[in-house]
Amino acid sequence: MSKAKIPRKSTAIDMTAMCDVAFLLLSFFILTTKFKPNEQVQVNIPSSTAQIPLPDKDILLITVDTKGAVYVGVDDQNTRLAWLEKIAERYKFTVDGSMQQAFKTMDNFGVPASNLKQLLTMAPEERAKVKQPGVSLEVVPPAPSEFMDFVLFARQSNPNLRIAVKCDKETSYEAVNEVIAQLQEKKVNKFNLITAGRGSAQEGEEKE
Amino acid sequence: MAEMNVPESGAKKGKKKARSKKASTRVDLTAMVDLGFLLITFFMLATTMNKPKAMEVNKPAKDKEKDKEELPEIKQSKTYSIILGKNNMAYCYTGADDDANVKVDSTFFSRAGLRAMIKQRQNEVQQQWGNKDELFIMIKPLPDSKYRNMVDILDEMAICGVKRYAIIDEFNSIDEGIGAKSGNRLKADKGFQIMNTVEAPPSN
Repeated sequence: MSKAKIPRKSTAIDMTAMCDVAFLLLSFFILTTKFKPNEQVQVNIPSSTAQIPLPDKDILLITVDTKGAVYVGVDDQNTRLAWLEKIAERYKFTVDGSMQQAFKTMDNFGVPASNLKQLLTMAPEERAKVKQPGVSLEVVPPAPSEFMDFVLFARQSNPNLRIAVKCDKETSYEAVNEVIAQLQEKKVNKFNLITAGRGSAQEGEEKE
Repeated sequence: MAEMNVPESGAKKGKKKARSKKASTRVDLTAMVDLGFLLITFFMLATTMNKPKAMEVNKPAKDKEKDKEELPEIKQSKTYSIILGKNNMAYCYTGADDDANVKVDSTFFSRAGLRAMIKQRQNEVQQQWGNKDELFIMIKPLPDSKYRNMVDILDEMAICGVKRYAIIDEFNSIDEGIGAKSGNRLKADKGFQIMNTVEAPPSN
């Protein structure tokens, strides 16, 4: 009795469909992606039922970490240039092209104005490693704090700027209130608190 | 890749036109698929999918010249004060005037706790005034409370549909009593806030 011969099939599979799918997904991700900004500190934001998405542009982001250190940054590169110019003028340091380039790439910073020049002249790898202590909030009575100046200059650089405050869940109200009080001193009475959406259907129903 | 069909020399020349060999049009796409998925993985990991949501806060404009007397007075029976303390505790009471007999409830941030109390107070106001929107909630966070508590309470306002509320940084004697009993500080030790109340720095 002879064994039934199984015909050998070719192992080559037509990859065309798979390739189509892969590139379809790829184009979707390329188009929808927005890169994570490299942040100075890890901030764990609280969740809320707020539904309004944060606008994509014209944002002055103020980040407050658990210890109350404050970091500021704007999203638009042209605004960053104008901002740097104003800061340099106020704190009397000169800015060259490489420093401008460095500032353009920085999503946020948190150093006193006196150390800003030093930070900008560092090599990029070095800058990523250095621990930034946070913007100075100290007010010496006649003069506003450096933080107030930074906010003011940012708003002068781009009048459409919206102010977004991003704090850690565990930041004390004391630190948050300090930032808000200083913003109010600069006539910023409307701002956005950044929260993560809860995204639970149950919560959504309860809202109304 | 760079192959050419070179006509063979010699005998065939002239007799027959050189026929180009029909090459198969199939290309091995495996490598291309690999590349595609590699890039997909990269973009998936680099992207931020859940967009943060913004909670809008409008603070009343600070006007130093404006007298406090101009603020509208609100009837005690329409108010509810919520004090936020440390360890995620909230202390609530009705009435704003100094009163030794005021009943203070302490609660946690939960559906059964704080939300139930706000709802209950809304019902009381509804019964007394015929409209629950008359309720005015005064939120007074103490310095040691967490930012999360502030967001939670603002969120509760939205969930319970409280139309009128304010974050207030001034404390009356009831609040001071609560602060002392629960071991909370009332004022921050340092900072611009304190400086502002002592001596207002001129704004430019």
